Amino acid sequence: MATQWEPPAPTRMDPVQPSSSARLLVVPVLVGCLVALTLGIYGRLHSPTGVAVDVIGFSNGGTVKSVLASGAVVFAVVQVFTSLVMYGKIRWAGAPSWIGGLHRWSGRIAFILTVPVVVHCVYALGFQTFSVRVLVHSIAGCLFFGVFTVKMLALTRRGTPGWVLPLVGGLAFALLVLIWFTSAFWFFTTFGWSR
Amino acid sequence: MKIPTPVITLIVGLALAVSLLVSSMSAVSGEKTARAQASATAAANTVTVPASTGPSAGAAASAATASPSPSASGSGFVIPPHANYVGEVQGNLGSVAIVVHDTFAVAYFCNGKTQEAWFRGTPHNGNLSMTGKANSSLTANYALGHARGTVTVDGIAHVFSIIAVHKPSGLFQSIAVVRGATVKAGWIVLPDGTTEVGSIEPDSSLAVPPAQTAPKLDLSTLTAQDGGTTLTATPIDGETGSGF
Repeated sequence: MATQWEPPAPTRMDPVQPSSSARLLVVPVLVGCLVALTLGIYGRLHSPTGVAVDVIGFSNGGTVKSVLASGAVVFAVVQVFTSLVMYGKIRWAGAPSWIGGLHRWSGRIAFILTVPVVVHCVYALGFQTFSVRVLVHSIAGCLFFGVFTVKMLALTRRGTPGWVLPLVGGLAFALLVLIWFTSAFWFFTTFGWSR
Repeated sequence: MKIPTPVITLIVGLALAVSLLVSSMSAVSGEKTARAQASATAAANTVTVPASTGPSAGAAASAATASPSPSASGSGFVIPPHANYVGEVQGNLGSVAIVVHDTFAVAYFCNGKTQEAWFRGTPHNGNLSMTGKANSSLTANYALGHARGTVTVDGIAHVFSIIAVHKPSGLFQSIAVVRGATVKAGWIVLPDGTTEVGSIEPDSSLAVPPAQTAPKLDLSTLTAQDGGTTLTATPIDGETGSGF
């Protein structure tokens, strides 16, 4: 019995995955866009007359949200600083072994602090356009969560170009600061601390 | 399969957001159900409210404690924790707006000219006793859909009986620093949704700030032109807590 002779398998001319490619970002960016659009469209279409759940006195929300948002910004500043150390940009500080852990945990805490704020904002107040401040805040808010999603998902892919993490991280920080200025900063300067 | 930790972060955040959203929705629908039931029973009762012009007119609301959920008093009145009331005072000598949000209440009276006053106070069981500049005072009883009372400004007492309103009617405020002075303006948009009346204090840091007619408020952009400055009005809304 003759064994069936089969032609050899064709040689792959191109590698299956390129060694470093921005194409790895396509899915994360699409997911990020989906997140940003969902926040914006839901905020706009749903009628924002409700109050949010009364967690820690939440329904009297302005002060609590401003404090939480300010806390998130503080941890975000730690984020930026630790990332600069990790990339060797701070000469007088070497990169100790725990710097990566500090970066990740400060980021997680900052993100979790923003979650109750954004839920209350989108649910009780919605996507507003009645002043420049609230318009910028609404847009920056949607974009921030999209960008943060992109950053998280980009971290799961090896081989993304070196500029991706600093760019997306810096963008997330800039958006968060913009959000904070158009809300907590405005709140504290208009109404003071004592509410 | 090991889930990458950044994805875990996203999942934790999403789960927290969803649980907060769901409890917010049930809190809101619980409030709406309570209000619907209470107003149904209130409509079935015959309620007479004594004409109240003094601070002791607490007879309308019996001892229901103010809490984040609306309380139904014994006589059938529902005291909402969040409400906006707007209307003209008797004799058309001005307009008044009252905004209640949990433990804070803000009120404003203005005649669109020089007579105006801002009031702050704490709601108690549907009663309000508030004070403003230069011995002005406002006392009112409020319940679901309706508020009545007296506001005294510049020595003149105005009786009012006003209704609850929603956007675009309500109370709006603008605080801006113009050339070093704190300029404070207030606008009341009456229940028809288009008529607005407003006054402005060109220097609200004074002990008794004088007032004048406010520039007209553009209701689509919520801005007004004060000379070369654009004032941006923020709604003082008891339902969303805006302005508090």
